[in-house]
Amino acid sequence: MASRLDNTIARIEQTRLWRSIFRSGTGNSTLHRAMAIQQNIFLHILPTKVRRRMLDLSATWYLGTLTLGTFVLLVVTGILLMLYYHPSVPQAYTDVTDLRFVVSSGLFLRNLHRWSAHAMVLLAFAHLFRVFYRGAYRPPREFNWVIGVVLLLITLLLSYTGYLLPWDQLAFWAITVGSNISSAVPLMGDKVRFLLLGGHQVNANALLRFYVLHTVILPLSAVFFIAIHFWRIRKDGGLYVRQSDPLRKSAAQGEAAEESVAAGAGKEEA
Amino acid sequence: MSTPKDFTTGVGSDVRTSQRRVLFITRRTSAMVKRTDEEQVQTYPAALVRAALAFELLTIGLVLMSLFFNAPLEGIADPTNTPNPAKAPWYFLGLQEMLHYFPPVVAGVMIPAVLVAGLIVIPYFNVNIEADGMFVKDRARRLRIFYLAAPLLSVFLLYFDVYVALVPTLLVAGFMLLAAHSGPGSASSLRRYLASRAVSWWIMTWFLVELIVLTVVGTFFRGPGWSWVWPWRS
Amino acid sequence: MRSIISKLVGSVRSLLADPVRMFGLVSVVLVLLLAVAPAKDHFSEWHHYQQQYRRLIAKRSDAATLQRHFVGGVRQVWLPQVGVVDRCESCHSGLTEASLTDVPQPFRTHPPIPHGLDEFGCVICHRGQGAATTVAEAHDSKLAHQEPILPARFVESSCGQCHHAALMGTPKLNRGREMLARYGCVRCHTVKLPDGSTMTATDDPPPLTHIADKTSREWIYAWLKDPKSYAGSATMPNFHLSDDDARDISAFLIAASTPQPEDTATLPAAALKAAADPSGGASLYGESFCASCHAMQNAAGDLTGGNVGPELTRIGTKVKPEWLVGWLRDPRHYDEKTQMPRYRWTDQQVALLAGFLENKTDSDLLSNVQLAPATAAQIKHGRSLVIEYGCAACHEIPGIKRPENFAPELSRVGSKPLEQIVFADDVPHTLPDYLAGKLREPRAFGPGLRMPDYGFSHTQLEALTTALLSLTDRSFTLPQSLQVATTAASSYVPAGHAGKLMMEMNCQACHRINGRGGDMAPDLSWEGSSVQRAWLDDFLKNPNTLRPALIRRMPRFNMTDAERAELTDYIMTVYQSPVLDRDTPLTSSPELIDKGRQLFYSKYACQSCHIVDAQRDKGYIGPPLTQVGSRLTAVWIEHWLQNPQALRPGTLEPNQKIPEDEAQALTAFLMAQRGGRATGTSKQEAKR
Repeated sequence: MASRLDNTIARIEQTRLWRSIFRSGTGNSTLHRAMAIQQNIFLHILPTKVRRRMLDLSATWYLGTLTLGTFVLLVVTGILLMLYYHPSVPQAYTDVTDLRFVVSSGLFLRNLHRWSAHAMVLLAFAHLFRVFYRGAYRPPREFNWVIGVVLLLITLLLSYTGYLLPWDQLAFWAITVGSNISSAVPLMGDKVRFLLLGGHQVNANALLRFYVLHTVILPLSAVFFIAIHFWRIRKDGGLYVRQSDPLRKSAAQGEAAEESVAAGAGKEEA
Repeated sequence: MSTPKDFTTGVGSDVRTSQRRVLFITRRTSAMVKRTDEEQVQTYPAALVRAALAFELLTIGLVLMSLFFNAPLEGIADPTNTPNPAKAPWYFLGLQEMLHYFPPVVAGVMIPAVLVAGLIVIPYFNVNIEADGMFVKDRARRLRIFYLAAPLLSVFLLYFDVYVALVPTLLVAGFMLLAAHSGPGSASSLRRYLASRAVSWWIMTWFLVELIVLTVVGTFFRGPGWSWVWPWRS
Repeated sequence: MRSIISKLVGSVRSLLADPVRMFGLVSVVLVLLLAVAPAKDHFSEWHHYQQQYRRLIAKRSDAATLQRHFVGGVRQVWLPQVGVVDRCESCHSGLTEASLTDVPQPFRTHPPIPHGLDEFGCVICHRGQGAATTVAEAHDSKLAHQEPILPARFVESSCGQCHHAALMGTPKLNRGREMLARYGCVRCHTVKLPDGSTMTATDDPPPLTHIADKTSREWIYAWLKDPKSYAGSATMPNFHLSDDDARDISAFLIAASTPQPEDTATLPAAALKAAADPSGGASLYGESFCASCHAMQNAAGDLTGGNVGPELTRIGTKVKPEWLVGWLRDPRHYDEKTQMPRYRWTDQQVALLAGFLENKTDSDLLSNVQLAPATAAQIKHGRSLVIEYGCAACHEIPGIKRPENFAPELSRVGSKPLEQIVFADDVPHTLPDYLAGKLREPRAFGPGLRMPDYGFSHTQLEALTTALLSLTDRSFTLPQSLQVATTAASSYVPAGHAGKLMMEMNCQACHRINGRGGDMAPDLSWEGSSVQRAWLDDFLKNPNTLRPALIRRMPRFNMTDAERAELTDYIMTVYQSPVLDRDTPLTSSPELIDKGRQLFYSKYACQSCHIVDAQRDKGYIGPPLTQVGSRLTAVWIEHWLQNPQALRPGTLEPNQKIPEDEAQALTAFLMAQRGGRATGTSKQEAKR
């Protein structure tokens, strides 16, 4: 049974169509695995090899990966929420109450979006401090640190613009308080505020503006900078390793573990 | 490079087709190999499967949270009815707390601008790159700066009644003082650890503690009119 | 066994140790978890209630009908023009099923009301969050704009959001609104209505301009300390003043008082002699029907009489004799705006009545009040207290301006967000409880509050709370076309010389004319079309009431013949209905009268309320008709019979939709009733 399935899969993988899509082919050789990264548009910004000890939890706590994870979750849930939401007053609020009370799994969707957003801000901050305390901002990675700070700002703006969209009291007054601060900018404070809100107070124009920022401009900028951020990891020599970090396993043990991973990934286990 | 030439260089004939590593050995360095290049694994599948695992665990956590806790939703926005206190999102509450003490130009514009600028320039200053303890190199001058800066900042915060920020400042300054009078030869491991911390570490730690304290205070300890309340007493 | 366990543990350990296997395991957990959300949807509350409902109706005899009516899923009333999205029906499945009166909530049918469910939904009347599909959110949401469910005892308030005139079905709301006006609440608190008008007070607080002429400083002191100790029916609230504050305010009021323009209080000595006859005074008090407006405690301690004027039980302790005499002669001399009519009593009658009233004293009231002469500092302090407590919002006080917006505006108090309210310790956190608590103990909600204590009873509190709860945001945001306005306040004042006469007797204190006036006596707007001249003239000369059983009766105003003739002419000429011609000849014949008699006694059974034959009929609800033929005009009767409410809105006479030919016959019959002066008989009847 299993072998027949294997045969079928193998045959599919030999077809011309399959080969035209997945050029790297299959195989457990180092070459094939390197090609799986190199030949894939989404993965090619990653290095084909990583240092073994960087996979340890203690090295990174996977904070960057998790921050990206929350972003992916937010994009997926956000697009689904967009199907129900009108950025207009007062329909925005009734849409959110409808999501909550009558849309199938609407409450769950909104909860997941909201909590993921908070998690993303938290994880981005944690990532920043973790990178700092490990000293991973040191040359040659200094520019990637700057990209990271930019990404943190984008994250905050994403969260802030999303905060207004339910158009409830919490949203309205949080944005009012926040936007009032911007009018303190010397010389052009009121202009900045006007630009941000599309008017002199938080109203339907501000809602529309925040909606566009939240669903188009800021996510696209985030994707752009995330791509650079990952690309630079590879170009700056992979994840930063402190010389003091212990080499946890002996080379021989490492090889053994590596083999089991390879076996697991390469073949269906019976 | 200095003269007279005390090294030779050269490349093999296959340099155009395969990359070569070129090693320069100057007079002050020796050709001793300190560390072999460490063991590497293929990104696919070793790193990717772990990343996917991390992502799934994150999703499970957030899904569980979404199933049990509902996102807050209040009444429809009403410009005529101001809730008291009107709070910004939690990650801005540190700034809002500052806004309570300083004019908007300072708390709303200057402080965030300095923070962002400060974060960006960190890797571009050598003082942040060095890994030695803060008071190891150039000790006398740095001690002078510390003894001047820490009391000045404290007095400044005291003058504006910013006790919320003053307490963490004094705490961190206390530890710095301890570090200043410790060294690699200190008896306790804490003192040895503190003594080996670089100047950037101290500044960042101070910022982190302030950030956490101000955000927690803004979130839980502020009531109507931004007055101090005890969260367990309401 | 042990080997199996260790094998199991081993395989689990190997599963966790290997990232790929772990990945597989976690993926399965994640997929399962993601399936929980739709499952949670499926087991929602409304689903549960709908299942219960279906089980409930399956057992009933009319199961087939109910099942046919039932539609599952989230049900909603969606009315965008009034901003309604009400999903209450998702759980309250039997709302429109008339037969479901004996089942438990949430399935019971809605009691019949004038509006359909699909007209206004649920939330406009009951409050709550209509969009919600869970009980807690729908009923108890206390978010801004989404008030919790209104307790049923206050639900009348919701009618008041659109209906601004009194409604038959909302006695509590009507009473509360009346109280807002009658207790002068709206003198301090502005209440704007959706039609742009402002509520006005109907109380009659006396001006204090010449207060020193009227009463003593001691009485003012006692009154300020506790108005109820002087008159249990006092509408003046208790400000809970300290002894010193009451002393200083009384000092200021006396000091600020100016003397009346001229002293009219001297009476001929001969007239004063008569004042010694108390029984004569009492009978004059009765004959003049003073009790129509003024109450007085009788020997048993019961308060009898009207509440238009002040209670007179202890009047002798309050007013000075010379002031009383002047007042009885011409009340307008002291207070231009008073409701009290000028009675045209002779000097002797004035002396009699004054003597009678002077004896109404209560020696205990002022026995403990000893006030030293006022000092300048006390007067000054009294003035500042008068300003602080806003006395001038109600009373005219020399040298003090009427304060504007003295107290918080209440135009939208029924929608006040809970987070803006500071609750007293023992008050439940709901708006009705807050309002009732505030009215019961106005100063319990914080220090420095100035609102006085009215001592309202429980029913009064509920009525007032209901009226206040009707002042909502929604009443302003609902489409204007839904608003049922009060008839615009009329400022009609009769004109000319006769008009002056009518103002002097203050006819409009009791009679409504052209939209302005009291509702104690019949509307006179169309009196000229309604009655015959001879009857009116006779009535004004000697106003025997048509309904002797009533306490309130028309007093005799002692008019001269010329005055009476002028007034009669004026009423007959001016107060005519545009649709009735009182000179329309009567169609009558013996057959018609006979037919009318039959209709009167059998088809319409009018004798159950009216009396035509004083010997036979026993109806006392309506006026007796023994001499209606010499009182009313034929055209009036005919129209009245066909549609009484068209001629006098709100009359008790039922509209039996009598066809024209029958109305004609009845009119012929009634116009034939010209029996002599039958009031004597009916008086006897009433006594029996």
